[in-house]
Amino acid sequence: MIRLPVLSIITWAPFVGAVLIMFLARHSPLAVRLIALVTTSISTVLSVFIFVIYDREAAGFQFYEKLPLVPPLGISYEVAVDGMSLLMVLLTSVIIFAGVFASWTVKERSQEFYALLLALVTGVYGVFVSLDLFVFFLFYELAVLPMYLLIGIWGSSGEVRPRGIFGWAFRETGVGTKEYAAMKLTLYLLFGSAFILVGIFALYVSAGTGSFSFLELEAASFDPRVQFWAFLAFYVGFGILAGIWPLHTWSPDGHASAPTAVSMLHAGVLMKLGAYGVVRVGMGLLPDAAVELAWLVGGIACINVVYGALSAMAQTDLKYVIAYSSVSHMGLVMLGAATLTEAGLNGAVFQMFAHGVMTGLFFALVGLVYEKAHSRAIFTMGGFGRVMPGIATAFTIGGLSSLGLPATSGFVAEILTFMGAWRSAHPWWLVPAVAGTFLTAVYVLRVTKQIFWGPPSPHFQHLEDARGPEWLALVLLTAVVVVFGLLPGLAIGPVDTATVPILTRMVKP
Amino acid sequence: MSVTAPLALEAALGVVLLAVFVGGLLARGEDRRGLAWLATLGVLVVGVLSAFVRPAGPALGGMFVQDGLAIFAKRLFLVATFIGLLAGLSLPDRVFARRAGEYHLLILTSLLGMLVLASARDLILLFLAFELMSIPLYVLAGFLKRDAGAVEAALKFFLVGSVSSAVMAYGLSFVYGAARTTDLAKIATVASVSNPLMMLGLVAALVGFAFKIAAFPFHMWVPDTYEAASTPFVAWLSVAPKAAGFVALFRVYFEGAGDRAGAWVPIAAFLATVTMLAGNLMALPQQNTKRLLAYSGIAQIGYMLVGVAAASASGTAMVLFYLVAYVFGNMGAFLVVEALARAEGSEATTAFRGLAQRSPLLALAMLLFLLSLGGIPFVAGFWAKLYVFWAATERGLYWLVLLGAILTVVALFYYLLVAKRMYIEAPERTGRVPVAATLAIAVALCALGVVILGLYPKAVVMAALRVATPLF
Repeated sequence: MIRLPVLSIITWAPFVGAVLIMFLARHSPLAVRLIALVTTSISTVLSVFIFVIYDREAAGFQFYEKLPLVPPLGISYEVAVDGMSLLMVLLTSVIIFAGVFASWTVKERSQEFYALLLALVTGVYGVFVSLDLFVFFLFYELAVLPMYLLIGIWGSSGEVRPRGIFGWAFRETGVGTKEYAAMKLTLYLLFGSAFILVGIFALYVSAGTGSFSFLELEAASFDPRVQFWAFLAFYVGFGILAGIWPLHTWSPDGHASAPTAVSMLHAGVLMKLGAYGVVRVGMGLLPDAAVELAWLVGGIACINVVYGALSAMAQTDLKYVIAYSSVSHMGLVMLGAATLTEAGLNGAVFQMFAHGVMTGLFFALVGLVYEKAHSRAIFTMGGFGRVMPGIATAFTIGGLSSLGLPATSGFVAEILTFMGAWRSAHPWWLVPAVAGTFLTAVYVLRVTKQIFWGPPSPHFQHLEDARGPEWLALVLLTAVVVVFGLLPGLAIGPVDTATVPILTRMVKP
Repeated sequence: MSVTAPLALEAALGVVLLAVFVGGLLARGEDRRGLAWLATLGVLVVGVLSAFVRPAGPALGGMFVQDGLAIFAKRLFLVATFIGLLAGLSLPDRVFARRAGEYHLLILTSLLGMLVLASARDLILLFLAFELMSIPLYVLAGFLKRDAGAVEAALKFFLVGSVSSAVMAYGLSFVYGAARTTDLAKIATVASVSNPLMMLGLVAALVGFAFKIAAFPFHMWVPDTYEAASTPFVAWLSVAPKAAGFVALFRVYFEGAGDRAGAWVPIAAFLATVTMLAGNLMALPQQNTKRLLAYSGIAQIGYMLVGVAAASASGTAMVLFYLVAYVFGNMGAFLVVEALARAEGSEATTAFRGLAQRSPLLALAMLLFLLSLGGIPFVAGFWAKLYVFWAATERGLYWLVLLGAILTVVALFYYLLVAKRMYIEAPERTGRVPVAATLAIAVALCALGVVILGLYPKAVVMAALRVATPLF
């Protein structure tokens, strides 16, 4: 049997779709959508396929492909997945599949919209599967840049009123507008990529093997000083994307302004990409520094959890609530990783998946609500449960997963993280982590009650429930939230095979 | 077929120069654009000829060398000049039609200076070539002599330029005094850090080089000159003389220096730091696209100085690659500004509003140039930045690389502002932007260069490494 380059097909199918859309579907919005649907479906089906046939006994990197690109410099196109990236690839495909449906109604310049979106998706897949740090970086840039145009052109400006003593500065810079958000997001992420680039170079030069391959760098051992600084560079660089405090402010602005599919993809997948980078490159390649700096990563993660949740409570704009809840949940991811325990790290990776699906669901729902009610202000809405029962149900399930109710995937992720924190060198981390969960319950229930289950608002009697393709997106995402909550072993099994080797390379203090 | 005569290109260009000169004497009437075509095609022929030139032994008693570096640089000058002249063919101002002879004569003379400069391995010849290159530039900057702005810019350019030439000549005299020879090959063997006279001379000469390449704080002439002079000329001015300056810099400071080149690391790193900082920060508030590109060009020079600070064969090679990428990216950006300015009568960034909906291809070309200047993957500028950073990392200059990488974010801010005007804002007027055919070809050539180098940088990188390695 000929071995199919499965991972390359998954990665490049959306890109081919983007090219086809640019050249073939010039004046046919339907063709644009069909091409997008077909190419993302190819990726999705294959992702599920490799998720099923991944050999859990053998573990390690599988579906390996290698193609030398620039041999004298040691750059090659090298892709493979292990248990951790496997789950991330699955997450990406679920989100983009739902995202294509969720943006079915984009009217303005839809050809360019889908082309950019699909190019972006190729970047995301590429980051998760590539084993060559240089190619990894290229994909990373590809995943960041289309965002500027996607938010700038198709985004929506928030209803932020400049207030307080810095009101003039807010007005000057246009805080709350989509242009501001797009620029802020792009510059923050590129700022992060500057650190990543320096980190990658530092590893390349000090390893001296003349290769960017992850596998060869993993075999090299680095001087403690190099490890320390390189880990900091990767932590800051990837951490910005993961929304670590105090470099998280791009995320609420960006996610609130972005069009639905982009918010889904960005909050659902791209932020995970940051956490994935910290775990894969930072902890995987620099184990000693990871142990040495765990206090920093965990400490900041605690701030994230509580600060994000408190900020979410204070918001009056629905999209900002969801965006700040991402900041809080990404804190939990980083906290789980920083515990450096098996349970914690598994919890972190599972949280990436669970939160990705959940927040994708949220943003899809918020997009639908906004499209129908033309409002994101929480306190003007009410009683939507009557007129849109489907959306209300999905939102409630997502909310319950967000606050960690048993039988949802959020619960599994949180309990694992808490167990990890308890067994780690800093058990006190449990306090902010649990407090964060409590605060999450407060804001999620408050919002759900106000919008969906409260007394009906007289302005919104004519609204309709989700339709056609939108249903598909909602059902798919809700189903994943519940299925992985009931059967967490599906994901934890392969993840465990990937996290244990990372931990065994660390020298315990 | 290969040409191994050392002075072949200079001789061929001399023929073109004479033809334009004689043509200028004979031409009658208001419209003398035939001479412009003659000069452009002449440069094209010399450019094609340069593809067949092979390294040759030293000529003129060792003053003139036709080595790999010289040939690489000459090809670059010729390509840049061809694109610049091509874009200038359709200049609408009547002055350019009537005085086409003078205009092109001056450009070709300056080009001749560059060609000689790339090969000069003697202080006297080096200085002469420098002046041959520079003096026509002062005249060209003030070519529109009825325009007060142009005259002011030319005067500024001339004053700063002649002072820096004087300082350079003064410095070179110290070098001669210390080494007792003007032959750079011999100077390299006796130059040492411990000789204070030699160091004083070389540092003073560096001022001259810093002016030619417009490094901070010798950049003051750049924005005004760029703003006032005609844009196709500025596009060329912003790349070709700078490239020549870098080549001469390599000849004087690196060739034959071997490990002693390391002595220049602190100074070059300092210059790179201040130039990157100043260029990027001062570009932020600019509203005029040409001034914006002027300051961004200063920042680009700073990035090239990062490669110089590596003071190694790979650093030198990466600067050469950077120059190639810079020629296409920067010229392209200026030429799009020119196209738009002709149609809209405005060089402000606001003229770019909604360009993507009016002329998608022109907007796409501009986006490519901006991304290349900003250093984004899959276009030339990315590899250029990456490679100079790489070279600097090998020298252990991590802080410089980090600073440079962070400053690219600042740079992307102002490049993206232009992208925002083109793609996000709504157009003020409707209808395509008319672009003259020759200008369109020039823009397309630049775009092609940026994309090809972005997708397949290897050939040029390898060529640059081949020519840079023998220097050390």
